[in-house]
Amino acid sequence: MECCGPGYSSPAEAMKAPRERLLYTIAIYTGTGIQKPDYLATIDNDPDSATYSQVISRCDMPGIGDELHHMGWNACSSCFEDSSMSRKYLLVPGVRSSNIHVIDCATDPRNPTIFKVIEGARIKSATNLSAPHTIHCLGSEIIISMLGDANGEAPGGYLHLDKNFEIIGRWENSMGDIPFSYDFWYQPRHNVMVSSEWAAPKTFMPGFDLEEVGYLKYGRRLHLWDFEKKEPKQTFYLGEDGLIPLEVRFHHNPDSTHGFCGAALSANIIHWWKDDNDEWLWEKIIDVENEPHPEWPIPIPGVISVILLSMDDRFLYLCNWLHGDIRQYNIEDPHNPVLTGQVWLGGLLDKAPIVNGVKVTGGPQMIQLSLDGQRLYVTTSLFSTWDNQFYPEIRTNGGCMLMVNCNTEAGGMEIDQDFVVDFGKEPKGPSRCHETRYPGGDCTSDIWI
Amino acid sequence: MITHTVTLANRANTTIEVSAHRPLLETLRSQGIELPYGCKYGACITCAAKLLNGEVDQNKQVALNNRQIENGYVILCVARPTTDITLEIGVESHDKLYRNPFLDPLQAHELKADIATSKDP
Repeated sequence: MECCGPGYSSPAEAMKAPRERLLYTIAIYTGTGIQKPDYLATIDNDPDSATYSQVISRCDMPGIGDELHHMGWNACSSCFEDSSMSRKYLLVPGVRSSNIHVIDCATDPRNPTIFKVIEGARIKSATNLSAPHTIHCLGSEIIISMLGDANGEAPGGYLHLDKNFEIIGRWENSMGDIPFSYDFWYQPRHNVMVSSEWAAPKTFMPGFDLEEVGYLKYGRRLHLWDFEKKEPKQTFYLGEDGLIPLEVRFHHNPDSTHGFCGAALSANIIHWWKDDNDEWLWEKIIDVENEPHPEWPIPIPGVISVILLSMDDRFLYLCNWLHGDIRQYNIEDPHNPVLTGQVWLGGLLDKAPIVNGVKVTGGPQMIQLSLDGQRLYVTTSLFSTWDNQFYPEIRTNGGCMLMVNCNTEAGGMEIDQDFVVDFGKEPKGPSRCHETRYPGGDCTSDIWI
Repeated sequence: MITHTVTLANRANTTIEVSAHRPLLETLRSQGIELPYGCKYGACITCAAKLLNGEVDQNKQVALNNRQIENGYVILCVARPTTDITLEIGVESHDKLYRNPFLDPLQAHELKADIATSKDP
């Protein structure tokens, strides 16, 4: 590497990075009945180690009831040419408490420690925002999507932090007429950011009332932003094809305009791109069929809770949290995805209730892929209140993490038989794991400017 | 200061005197009762408890639908007692809080207050 900032000069360089030997995932007690703090778990992922596939340390949060959820690095490849920056801190917010925990993962990568906490009360009073979700760094600064205002009402906005984790204020100049916030991703060479819509915190936090979808309390749009002006400029109304659009991913290739979103309740994949006339367009490219269930009055929707693109942008992965399958699609032609792999774990269809000796409670939910594209890590909990509705046994069984080996040549997936982390056996009782990251960056952390 | 007595049915009927003007989560925790909580603005349901007797003012809560209210749930981070009350607290009280929305849909009058229709129009 000829430069000394964090990350990699290009996605192709990132793919040559050493294998990830430590994994970080958050684990929650919020909503479980165990009165303990949520924590960041460190997992030994060195196959030659005696503690391979085990939790080797736990970094407890200072308070109870955060509901840790997503997390992000303080710096990524967008700072590659800035030698003053390093990928040292994970920002780990609590969706419910709005506390943002800054965790030092570099001083001792096997034992991360709390460096600083930005109190939710301070964020609310300084910015009138709550419920932090997605974190991206933009150069040496950090933006975080916040799903509500200080009272839990939509649409929230974007919290802007400097590199020392001080609150600058609101990042956006305008929310336009955006009704809801959730995930976002930006592609600076095209001066564009895309954001999606979940719902107001007061709507999604207590649990999922299906009827509220019909009352327009959940999202069904994607928003394109003028990234430099920090304001929305175009909306894709997805309608019934895009009910509850969650994770958004641009191609890692910084020159590409192609991107994808998983619409959870419609169980569709939405693809967008800019055409030769500089117009932004969208289409539905994958439609997961609902599945019959002997005890359900209506077929079960897949509920696509997450999507992810491999670093070379050749494969798209999606999870059907209620069905219980992870799918791999070749998207080299992004208009015409080809299903190349599928594995089952957990889910409501009873196709794979036990994997590697562990009863899988929940379904495949958050996923993270190794930089070389060969190992996919999957966890099973979605959100405490929603877990409690669809998979109530998760209270006693806890969540788990599994690894899926991915064929990056011909396509194909297979669950690794030697790797399983059972969070049902944690020392303080069953907890639930969610998003995963590792020290060298991963397939959802880095953006190239 | 006006106070009311809170009886905790699933904590061996422990009784606690609390202010009528402070949220129950705050006053109970300050007296050493362990309670789950999250947002502290009445929206996230983590601190829900079941009211077995008495009345509270919880007009600031926005988390509960009418079925949950009908089943006695109150949001402790914003609820204030207006009489002596008896509560069942903690996750043990959540037996009727969660339901599979596909298997057990809500009737129109059971939705959240802002969208519910009257049961007997």
